[in-house]
Amino acid sequence: MEARPAFSIERSSVKQLTNMGVSGALSSSLPVLPTPPEEKYPKLPDSQQATAEKELMTRPLTNSSHLNSSGVVGHLFSSSPGYSTDLHHSSLSPHEKHSRNAHFISQSLSNMGSLPLLYSSNNEPLPSTTSSHYSKESSALWNADSLSSFLDFPVNTSIENSQVENSASTIMASEEYCKRNEWHDWADQLISDDETLTSDWNDLFVDNNIPDLEPKVTSQVSKLSSQFPGHQFKGQQVVSAPSGENCAIAPPSSSANSASVKPRMRWTPELHEAFVEAVNQLGGSERATPKGVLKLMKVEGLTIYHVKSHLQKYRTARYRPETSEGSSEKRVTPVEQVSSLDLKTGMEITEALRLQMDVQKRLHEQLEIQRNLQLRIEEQGRYLQMMFEKQCKSGIEKFKAPASSLESPSAAASEAIKDSPAKSETEASKLDHSKTEPEQAKDNITMEESSPPKEVGEKHNAPETKVSENSEPQPHAGEDDTQPSKRQRTEE
Amino acid sequence: MKFGKRLKKQIQETLPGWQDKFLSYKELKKLVRLISAAPRLSNGSMDYGKAEAEFVYLLNNEIDKFNLFFMEQEEDFIIRHKELQQRIKRVVELWGPNGSMPSERDYEEEMAKIRKAIVDFHGEMVLLVNYSNINYTGLAKILKKYDKRTGGLLRLPFIQKVLEQPFFTTDLISNLVRECESIIDTVFPAEEEAERAKEAKEAIVVAGEGILRNTVAALLTMQEIRRGSSTKSPFSLPPLNLPDSELIKSIQLNAAVPIL
Repeated sequence: MEARPAFSIERSSVKQLTNMGVSGALSSSLPVLPTPPEEKYPKLPDSQQATAEKELMTRPLTNSSHLNSSGVVGHLFSSSPGYSTDLHHSSLSPHEKHSRNAHFISQSLSNMGSLPLLYSSNNEPLPSTTSSHYSKESSALWNADSLSSFLDFPVNTSIENSQVENSASTIMASEEYCKRNEWHDWADQLISDDETLTSDWNDLFVDNNIPDLEPKVTSQVSKLSSQFPGHQFKGQQVVSAPSGENCAIAPPSSSANSASVKPRMRWTPELHEAFVEAVNQLGGSERATPKGVLKLMKVEGLTIYHVKSHLQKYRTARYRPETSEGSSEKRVTPVEQVSSLDLKTGMEITEALRLQMDVQKRLHEQLEIQRNLQLRIEEQGRYLQMMFEKQCKSGIEKFKAPASSLESPSAAASEAIKDSPAKSETEASKLDHSKTEPEQAKDNITMEESSPPKEVGEKHNAPETKVSENSEPQPHAGEDDTQPSKRQRTEE
Repeated sequence: MKFGKRLKKQIQETLPGWQDKFLSYKELKKLVRLISAAPRLSNGSMDYGKAEAEFVYLLNNEIDKFNLFFMEQEEDFIIRHKELQQRIKRVVELWGPNGSMPSERDYEEEMAKIRKAIVDFHGEMVLLVNYSNINYTGLAKILKKYDKRTGGLLRLPFIQKVLEQPFFTTDLISNLVRECESIIDTVFPAEEEAERAKEAKEAIVVAGEGILRNTVAALLTMQEIRRGSSTKSPFSLPPLNLPDSELIKSIQLNAAVPIL
């Protein structure tokens, strides 16, 4: 791992610097590097790193998507998945960052050759050591000088140093950053929270994205708003001014930010209709330009990138059917086409299609049912957990009251289950069955409404009220450690 | 058969082209095993936190992958849906009985092609919904495994998050599917039941390939997966009872056709 030796070098030199004198330029591209305690870094197991890297390599999409995990500054390391609507990035830990950083670092290191350290005290020019790479960028460095004020955060681990080095290679990119107002926001983040790695950092390592940084920033905002508040981006969602909020400083919104990823918007038929109208007004899919369409559509939050990619898809979709009618279907079932058309009559083809439709309809039906079931299951689980928490909080005396009320809502819920298609009957019956077995807190712990209050009263947190949640016993059973943890294991 | 194997098998049989877009169940399972096998230090909460965070990180990657892929496909389907409707309109207006240039032969020919296109389109959408569902199931399973092996409390809150993800909210696609079905009803000629039954037998062999094959395989696998859970709980789905499952099984399953 080339990263390793580099790090050790840096570490020693870092010690020479009191203030991590990251020059302005360096800091510019450095969103806060995680300042994991030094011992963490050496612990990074090779295998894990290798796997992480391998996964990183095999998941190019991931990289880019993490580029979006912009400034979820404070939240990147909490490992508890308690976010409501966060994108997943929010639960990154220093550990992963390490592996990612290491990956990126090794990448960039290989690009840059051996980097003597760029460390300099604030505002000092970089020693124009090694590669011409640097000399090219030294001018760029000064552009970023204005950002030197951001550098006051302590940078004290080797990783940060190496990232500093790496940033030099991406100074070009940082130039663009300079231009953007979000930079100031990021700087605040950097200063305030030194544990996070903003996605800018990752962005810098994605080659093809660097030129597109600026425009993509704006699209990130729309992506952000489209993904978080709800899954359906109707195009009318209010998107705050791109420049202001792009970094997604607000913890809940974690995506957006980096321009590296193609912004992912969720199209709807209505939106598409508006799009088609605009295109037709402009004279057809060939003549329409993304800019024109964007203007005509007048949809807030829609960016030119969205339109561009959509237009491309639209053109392809139209082109294929028009060149040879039906050829787009042919590509899907080439063999069938030949055999069926040549040998069978039109009638049989129709019949075959009908059969196909039947099967497909059935599959779809089953999928919908299954999905509803899954939703309901989780809903109930959530409901039960809520009830359980309420009970625990309210104490023993109130137990008898909730216990009876617990019966009716959950009974109602199981009724609802019974009403749904036959497939769910087995499940409802399972629940009913378990109701009559209050004592058996074994593998089939399910809703336990009829647990006698007296029994419940024995244990304060009432693990005996067999809620089918793994999570409750742990936080609430403070006094009763063994039982909840045991239950946790046996609960399925 | 274990879920991991079934998952792999279904992917192979239905959508080999989408293989890497599915959940990396095996890898996640390995990670869970790794995590649970690692010795837990008494003050190792940090290690544990790290391990959990890494697990969550991977899961999040997977979810991103799903979302991205799903939304791309969704966008494509939206476009194609509209195009199909336009196409039908054009054909009807041009060559239809009331059209500007009525020509029964052209009309029939085009309609036959359109019918095939619609049915395949419908199938592709259903397969996307299937994709979403399978991944969700896999996620739920791996989370359950994680909690079981490590005593963690990851499952419930995490799955709540998953439920809201774009890839799992398939309502839009389902609506498109239903619309497609109604279009198909208008486009297909009316048939009598008896004739249908007779033709259906011959049609079975013909329909052994292509999208139909994919959907049939998907249905069968779904049935298998839900055959019965070794770890029953209120979070398990009941077994799947498919009417006409004999008919489905009788359809010959050849090599899967990749959807490009």
